[in-house]
Amino acid sequence: MEFKDKMIYTLPNCIENSARLFPNKEAFRCGNASLSFQELDIKTNQLAKHLVDSGIQKGDRIGIYMNRCIETSIAIYGILKAGAVYVPIDPISPRTRTKFLIENCGIQFLITVPKQKKRVAKLLIEDISLKQVIGFSDDSDIKHFSWESIFSITLESYQRVNILSEDMAYIIFTSGSTGDPKGIMHTHKSGLAYAQLSASLYKLRPQDRVANHAPLHFDISTFGYFSAPYAGATTVIIPDAPISLPVSLGALIAEEKISIWYSVPLALSQLLLSGVLDQHDYSAIRWVLFAGENFTLKYLKGIMEKWPQAKYSNVYGPTEVNQCTFYNFNAKEIFKDYVPIGDVWDNTEYKIIDEDDKEVHKGETGQLLIRSSTMMLGYWNNKELTEKSIYKQQISNNLEQVYYRTGDLVRQDNLDRLVFLGRKDRQVKVRGYRIELDEIEAVLNDHPSIKECTVCVLEKDNDQKILTAAIILTLGASTETNELITHCRSKLPTYAVPQRIDVLKNFPRTSSGKIDLTQIRKTLISL
Amino acid sequence: MNEKLIKYISEQLLNNELEDDLEAEDDLLGDGILDSLGMMKLILYIETEYEMKVPPQDMIIENFMTVQHISNYLAKQRS
Repeated sequence: MEFKDKMIYTLPNCIENSARLFPNKEAFRCGNASLSFQELDIKTNQLAKHLVDSGIQKGDRIGIYMNRCIETSIAIYGILKAGAVYVPIDPISPRTRTKFLIENCGIQFLITVPKQKKRVAKLLIEDISLKQVIGFSDDSDIKHFSWESIFSITLESYQRVNILSEDMAYIIFTSGSTGDPKGIMHTHKSGLAYAQLSASLYKLRPQDRVANHAPLHFDISTFGYFSAPYAGATTVIIPDAPISLPVSLGALIAEEKISIWYSVPLALSQLLLSGVLDQHDYSAIRWVLFAGENFTLKYLKGIMEKWPQAKYSNVYGPTEVNQCTFYNFNAKEIFKDYVPIGDVWDNTEYKIIDEDDKEVHKGETGQLLIRSSTMMLGYWNNKELTEKSIYKQQISNNLEQVYYRTGDLVRQDNLDRLVFLGRKDRQVKVRGYRIELDEIEAVLNDHPSIKECTVCVLEKDNDQKILTAAIILTLGASTETNELITHCRSKLPTYAVPQRIDVLKNFPRTSSGKIDLTQIRKTLISL
Repeated sequence: MNEKLIKYISEQLLNNELEDDLEAEDDLLGDGILDSLGMMKLILYIETEYEMKVPPQDMIIENFMTVQHISNYLAKQRS
């Protein structure tokens, strides 16, 4: 691809450029709704004009309060074109959290869809500082604007806002392991760096049809919303309903001729277990990307058998740096114990350090530090946390390089590939022994009767730490926990064998599909 | 049949408090009422409660979108 006439240095440039090159090509689709690049460019100009005319200033935060729908794409780029910052708010999340986000970010404008009418009405009853709701008309006290009114705005007097690549573009909130959610601030530069690096790594082409499975508040969505439009590809936003029904999801993937899939491993495991992968033609799939959790090997192997023509990518990267490493492989690859996270991609370097911030020897375990063009600006409203998350390498008196402390433990294997070993805070000490909870999980997952598991340390009131595994058995399995203990004994040091195994019917999950560790702890303590 | 399903979903499967009582016409899938795991639990419940098997090919939006859809589907299966 060539971009001869205009330089691309902001996220909206991606849309503008693709609208020039492929005006009538489908940019986004969701269910029956569809937008070409040209339509998207115009509609986002209309939204931007409305926002600027309503008094939105550069850097103002604007909430996107939507389920999975076509309007998400208009909201993102309309907000960005206005020079403002988008903040995804999950409509399903509890009202206290929504309120926290709105107040913490000083959000005054909320962009939504008619479907969320009820929830918005409930929100407005709360004492929050919203000035305007865009998405449907209403006669309440604050100003409402329908999408129809936005799309009837004329653009003759529209003046583009001057946006620099260093300007803030979006804030994604992740649940902090303790206390309030953390808001991760990204600029046009860091978001675009991600779009360009991923488009180049996976050789995205205009013919590609990229499935977007993740909700907006989960950063995997930046692939569908930034990288695909950057490359002129079509993003198919998976609607909410098939997300909950693997059989329908499987049919949709085939019907839409998806060529690039990106999701958490769970979505792929569910597709595999539903049997739907035997029912349709999936020959269009050329890339399968997964991130967010370790992929249980037996399920990954299952997917690789069903989709032998595809290439696979184990993607790693905390939201703070978008993506930063990858391990690409084909369906023939054989994994014995683990899938490496591979190597850092372009414009990125790393260090592995020990507890004293000293670099470890090759092959030793330590915390991964990342320096990259995809690095966040910092945490919203939390300078202290930003400082704490940064490692500075002094080059000379007045020059330093800034690394992000991922909090993840890694080591290099004998093929120089990085291996993810777990969260630093997933490394626990029980009776003086250092234990990797993820390692125990890997051993449990090896057992044929275990469908899923998670391991944690429960603390009893008398300071006693109990290594506890919660498991879900595969359908029809009647394995005794004693047998599982024996299985662990055969593969783990004695001190790492769970002292307690609880069989659960299912696990509590966060809205992004990850196991909700805080919630599961509560469940286990109550047993 | 609707009441029984509504009772089970409301009491056992909800991730978040609902603003209003669940109704037979509410979109279970598009409104965040049930996630994929909640849906699996609901199907398991139906299979035990109504002593039937829901084959994978039936686990589709058309049969499970609302409580009413589920009731219709069950009625058809049992007739």
